[in-house]
Amino acid sequence: MTNVRAPEADPFGSPAPEPDGQPRGHLTGGASGSAGWLKWAWRQLTSMRIALILLFLLALASVPGSMLPQEGSDPAAVQQYFTSHPALAPVLNRLGLFNVFAAPWFAAIYLLLFTSLVGCVVPRTFRLAGSARALPPRAPRNLSRLPRSASYATALDAGQAVEVAARVLSGHGFRLRRPGGASEPADHWLSAEKGYLREAGNLLFHLALLGVLVSVALGGLFGYKADRLLVQGQTFADTASALDEFHPGRFVTAADLAPFTIRLNQFTAAYIAAGPQRGQPASFHAELSYTARPGGPSRGYDLQVNRPLSVDGVKVYLIGHGYAPLFRVTDARGQVVYDQATPFIAGSSGNFLSEGVVKVPDAQPQQLGFTGVFVPTAVDVGGILESVFPAADHPVASLIAYAGNLGIDSGVPQSVYQLDTAGMHRLGAAPLLMREGQTLRLPSGQGMITFAGYDQWVSLAITHDPGQLPALVCGIAALGGLLLSFMVRRRRVFIRARAAGHGSTVQVGGLARTDASGGFEAEFASLAAELRAAHRRPASRPDSAEGK
Amino acid sequence: MPVNLALGHASNDFMIAALVIYSLSVVAFAGDFAFGRPRRAVTTSAAREPSAALAAVGAAADGPAAQGPGPGADGPAEGLAVTDSVPEPAPPPLRAVRQAGPWVTAAMALGILGAAAHATAVVTRGFAVHRPPWGNMYEFVTALTCVAAIFFLFVMIRYRAWTLGLFVIGAVVAVLGLAETVIYTAPGQLVPALQSYWLAIHVTAMTLATGIFFVAAVLGAVYLAVGRYSRRVAAGRAVPGNPIVGRLPGMEQLDRLTYRTIVFGFPIWTFGVIAGAIWADQAWGRYWGWDPVETWAFITWVIYAAFLHARATAGWRGRRAHYIQLLGFASLIINIAIVQVFITGLHSYAGIR
Ligand code: HEM
Repeated sequence: MTNVRAPEADPFGSPAPEPDGQPRGHLTGGASGSAGWLKWAWRQLTSMRIALILLFLLALASVPGSMLPQEGSDPAAVQQYFTSHPALAPVLNRLGLFNVFAAPWFAAIYLLLFTSLVGCVVPRTFRLAGSARALPPRAPRNLSRLPRSASYATALDAGQAVEVAARVLSGHGFRLRRPGGASEPADHWLSAEKGYLREAGNLLFHLALLGVLVSVALGGLFGYKADRLLVQGQTFADTASALDEFHPGRFVTAADLAPFTIRLNQFTAAYIAAGPQRGQPASFHAELSYTARPGGPSRGYDLQVNRPLSVDGVKVYLIGHGYAPLFRVTDARGQVVYDQATPFIAGSSGNFLSEGVVKVPDAQPQQLGFTGVFVPTAVDVGGILESVFPAADHPVASLIAYAGNLGIDSGVPQSVYQLDTAGMHRLGAAPLLMREGQTLRLPSGQGMITFAGYDQWVSLAITHDPGQLPALVCGIAALGGLLLSFMVRRRRVFIRARAAGHGSTVQVGGLARTDASGGFEAEFASLAAELRAAHRRPASRPDSAEGK
Repeated sequence: MPVNLALGHASNDFMIAALVIYSLSVVAFAGDFAFGRPRRAVTTSAAREPSAALAAVGAAADGPAAQGPGPGADGPAEGLAVTDSVPEPAPPPLRAVRQAGPWVTAAMALGILGAAAHATAVVTRGFAVHRPPWGNMYEFVTALTCVAAIFFLFVMIRYRAWTLGLFVIGAVVAVLGLAETVIYTAPGQLVPALQSYWLAIHVTAMTLATGIFFVAAVLGAVYLAVGRYSRRVAAGRAVPGNPIVGRLPGMEQLDRLTYRTIVFGFPIWTFGVIAGAIWADQAWGRYWGWDPVETWAFITWVIYAAFLHARATAGWRGRRAHYIQLLGFASLIINIAIVQVFITGLHSYAGIR
């Protein structure tokens, strides 16, 4: 038995190091043709080496999902990519690289991995559970060959020594086995084993991972995600038509939406005013009023980042904010044809320099359109407007006016953030630059525009995910299983006593399977010391020592 | 609440002090290699390497402490001619350090002093900014190196692995020096997205796990270097008896030390990912969205899981397993140094502008 190489090399008859990935057992006789082939494939799939390869593939396959823009999280960036890489993008798209985590090949990897997991972990566990119900094996002849061993002398005779050891070890919760029957009268030994929960932990861990996968699928099928941009003073009801984006799961319809309404009373953002972090946001508060169902009582809520509103099993999050300048447009006839807050979107440059579009379809004789920027704290840097602070301390709007046909009736849906100028002509060369409250005359007698002030808007994410709680429970179970399998070591302790002189010699041997967190050597040392002390205590309960 | 500038300055001073003291500690560890007593690293487990155990019944092979009969040898069994071979408890840490010689004693004292200064720097920064002091990249790196240093000092004392200090504390000095010079960020407030008690929970776990994986990566690199040297010796391409390798722990023991380090870090990383998912749910309305940072945390987790499987797969233990764990650590570094800084996602963590 020279193959006791390390404590991990496994005399427990369990599956640690597999022989170089070859499926265990043979494919002989009976199973021929396709059945044999299937069996072979199954054995391969459930082998540890394939699990290893699939784990690598899973890691590798995730990489493009973090490098390329993804449909799921940022569809606008995907559009952007198509524009800037017209040749490459369609190829990547065909490979599913803009939606990696929903791609069939990605699913193939994790489904194979989980199939392998079930096919491998469950049978192993049954085998080990079977061995856990059985008694530990007989003590080997020569205990000094085990990874841990000790020996000492005692004045007790061999039978008494084993009795005392049995008492000590069962006091520590070991399961014991002693020589059976009269067949081995002169053989004084004892086997003890402990730590059966290790395999339970391993199984719990792997099955809980499966549970996480199922929970995620549950959320995808029965949950939904929605977005809504809400300007200060506006109210919306949670219906499909009132939502800007609505991504229902496969089994969700518009009728499943929770019937709450939300009004944004006030949005406040505070920014750091001085020092190196000047301009960095310090806090956001969105003061809401909401009713859980139509006609119900109205309640207030201070919505913040990291503090979602929970209503009727649905959660509402504050995920963005911006400015909505108020423009009043009077057309050539002198009629007020536009008077409302228009959400502008901040660019990535910081300080909330925001861009937007105003469309005035009711203007006569021609429709009017404007593109422009809202600058919350404006300074003129060499003729270019810049924003130096995100709060609206000195707001300025700068618009370019167009007249003509907005193209709204053409039937093609239009984005409210884009102006289609194909059917329009530009009015005047210089942009219309306005301070708050200022009114400017449009060129060519097309009317007037007033920059009346601004409101703020927030964007809300509305989500319902029935898989969330199961996923959390499974995640915690996985962690528990992991800790169990790492901290519990399955170990065996053997005792042999042989008559020597007036007493006997006691040999103690110890063996741990995958002592992951270490410490078996210390446990063995203290057990051996305790056994020795018990064997040397002069009157160690003579009654039980007599029994033998 | 505004930043307490005086405490901020104190923190910076302690950080520089830590860097200096660590450097001296590294010098002393190197001095042990050059001038120290000849010794192989002895650990409680090395004393009973399985190969030794095969031959060692009754032999006094229990390390330096097993001289003479054990304390129980004068029991009622006197007169029996059996050598008592019950393993002795390891000597208490302080005695073990002293037994390792003056260079190691000095290096350990400096290492502990350096870690104390380092921890003080991290804690005072926390008081200066009124929050857990790992809210941006610079703070994260200083905190994780502090975890690595303290964790490793414990490992070194527990397993008597003195010679490894040169490499681990050396790596801490290098990384901390880089942090001070390249990514230093003055103490400041956090953006609202980070103002949550989940910062304390999630980032703390990630910091702890990263510090622990950092130690494992250094140990893995030492393992691979020693393995490479032994293979070169076996192939006749290197002279046997390299004095540095001779003082390092054996391959088996390095392997086990690394494995246990990862086993300690992996559940903490797992917990950190779960806590991050809960926080993501609080902040963004979904617990998992394949944001680039999340994706790389997942990749790291999967690679370390592959390492754990590799150890149970024939042909993959040893060298290959260590390549896998280094790959795992590389993915962790990619996440910190590349993904968080250059790839836009929801995470606004880096704080580098
Ligand atoms: C989702 C994919 C998987 C992950 C993340 C994973 C993760 C882990 C982790 C972290 C451990 C160490 C904890 C322990 O020792 O109990 C482990 C152990 C183990 N896994 Fe997996 N696993 C996966 C799939 C599989 C598959 C497909 C198989 C079978 C082919 C498998 C078989 C095992 C076995 C037998 C152990 C115990 C190893 C030992 O005795 O040291 N796992 N797994």
